[in-house]
Amino acid sequence: MDDDPRFADFVAERADALLRYGYVLSGNSHDAADLTQEALIRLHRAWSRVRRKQDPESYTRMIMARLHISTWRLRRRERLTWDLPEGLHLDVLPSEVEQGLWQALEGLPRKQRAVLVLRYYEQLTDAEISGVLGISRGTVRSHASLGLNKLRSAVSHPTAANGSAL
Amino acid sequence: MNDDLEDVLRRTLGHASQRAPQAPSTLSSQVMTHSLRRRTRVQTLVAALAVAVVASGAVVAVRGAGGDPAPPVVNPTQAPSSVTATPSPSGKQAFVTPEPIEKVWPQAVWKIPAKLPGIRKYQPRIFIDDRTLLLETWGSFEKADAIYAYDLDGGQVRKITDIRTPKGVFASGYTAGAGRIVWQTIDEVDGGRVTEFWSVPIAGGRPTVINTAAPVKGGGDKLTVVGDKLAFSVIEGGVFTVPLGGGTVEPVAGAERHHILRWPWVGTPGEYTPNKEASFEDLLNVETGETSKAVVRPGEQNVRCGVTTCVGERRGSPSFYRLRDGSQERDLPGSAFPGLAADRFQTVFSPVPRGGQYMIDLVTGESGDLSLSPPDAKGQSIVVQLGVGDSRLVSYPIKDEHVVIDLTKIR
Repeated sequence: MDDDPRFADFVAERADALLRYGYVLSGNSHDAADLTQEALIRLHRAWSRVRRKQDPESYTRMIMARLHISTWRLRRRERLTWDLPEGLHLDVLPSEVEQGLWQALEGLPRKQRAVLVLRYYEQLTDAEISGVLGISRGTVRSHASLGLNKLRSAVSHPTAANGSAL
Repeated sequence: MNDDLEDVLRRTLGHASQRAPQAPSTLSSQVMTHSLRRRTRVQTLVAALAVAVVASGAVVAVRGAGGDPAPPVVNPTQAPSSVTATPSPSGKQAFVTPEPIEKVWPQAVWKIPAKLPGIRKYQPRIFIDDRTLLLETWGSFEKADAIYAYDLDGGQVRKITDIRTPKGVFASGYTAGAGRIVWQTIDEVDGGRVTEFWSVPIAGGRPTVINTAAPVKGGGDKLTVVGDKLAFSVIEGGVFTVPLGGGTVEPVAGAERHHILRWPWVGTPGEYTPNKEASFEDLLNVETGETSKAVVRPGEQNVRCGVTTCVGERRGSPSFYRLRDGSQERDLPGSAFPGLAADRFQTVFSPVPRGGQYMIDLVTGESGDLSLSPPDAKGQSIVVQLGVGDSRLVSYPIKDEHVVIDLTKIR
């Protein structure tokens, strides 16, 4: 299984999508690359079992989300093995509101951000999020609600000033 | 407006995702190499990370936060034997490989045979005293089945006891004091963690459980023997004591959310901080009531503090090392691992030879090469990473030997 060409095919086809997901989860290129690399290493180690039982991509995305909210970062063993390309596309987002929201996401605790990314980027239901992160649905809802509240008060949004929403 | 915010959030995440980096074409082969390397590395890291403490290990060269901390007198990046530049291609030219650790710190380094008569493959766990090492053998992966005392002077090995644990339950957290070896097992009961403590005379015998009036809820994260008591903290937060002979578990006043760093210093948050807080930012001396808050500046990440010092990262700048009060800040070599053993030691990747690592003493600026082999044909190699706190033992295998370092012997 070490040299399973299907693993190489999977990485070739899906790595960029995983990096995009890692980028919105973590908010920066380095952590995105780090999360993707670590999750793929774990996928490789579990490849034959994962292929028998579930879809490798959902498995990898689940690992990335759990890694991101876990204590893994401080214990991590390896540095990134590839250099990030120069001149990343750090263009400004299309509107000021989006730019403000992206910056506000930076201030959220990891779990709140992960829940929001799974809900609004991955389009998962709260029940699915609960399965991905291994937390209860009630906790998913409270993280989502806390996270949205913080975003609302952080961006200069019409409702932010009086805090009337939610 | 709620809908608006949700819509904007969807669009923002979608647009932002387009800024992600692209994967290199060699990614899958790199991942496979790492995966194979890790297979052999796991055991090594377990040994290296389990840099454990002896209760009397207060001989560490740095004193308490309120005392007279040993200052970082040398800028490690200027030391002749350390990396003089960040790990850019040009940095490699400036690198001079340090002397091996056994030449730099001969009083602190031992090499012991990987195969000892009468026992299976083992992992060094803690120093029982200055001359005696606690070894653990495994019945299956990471599952201890016996512990031994190894005499560093004479090279004899003696079984202390067999250990039997239920399926899925592991002995961990070894510490020594009051003539006994103490450890924990963590089990799951009704979905929650419950910890039991065990002890055995160092002279040998059968392990006995330390009876507690009520089950200890939570997973133990650090154990230390204090007089005739066991002090421990739990992963969930909270410091407690229990008589070594069994009895009531007493919470330590003022340490309800704390973790043991180096007794009597306990702190919050603990070593692992999922929301990017600095580990051990706040400290409390449970004997004197003295407190210490580490200086953490905006934009700093992965800050990890010991009793006297902190290391951390800043985007776009070298990592730093400084005293808890923020003074005497120094830059660190670019490719250091994030640990900070005994407030002063880190391991760093050597640019040459590939796969090499050296250990640096941030107080004196001295460094010693760990003499690790470069990755073999399968890409397998060993990585030595230090933890935070009162680590005393560092050990790792090389060929047919275990290298053992006693950090308290480095002054």
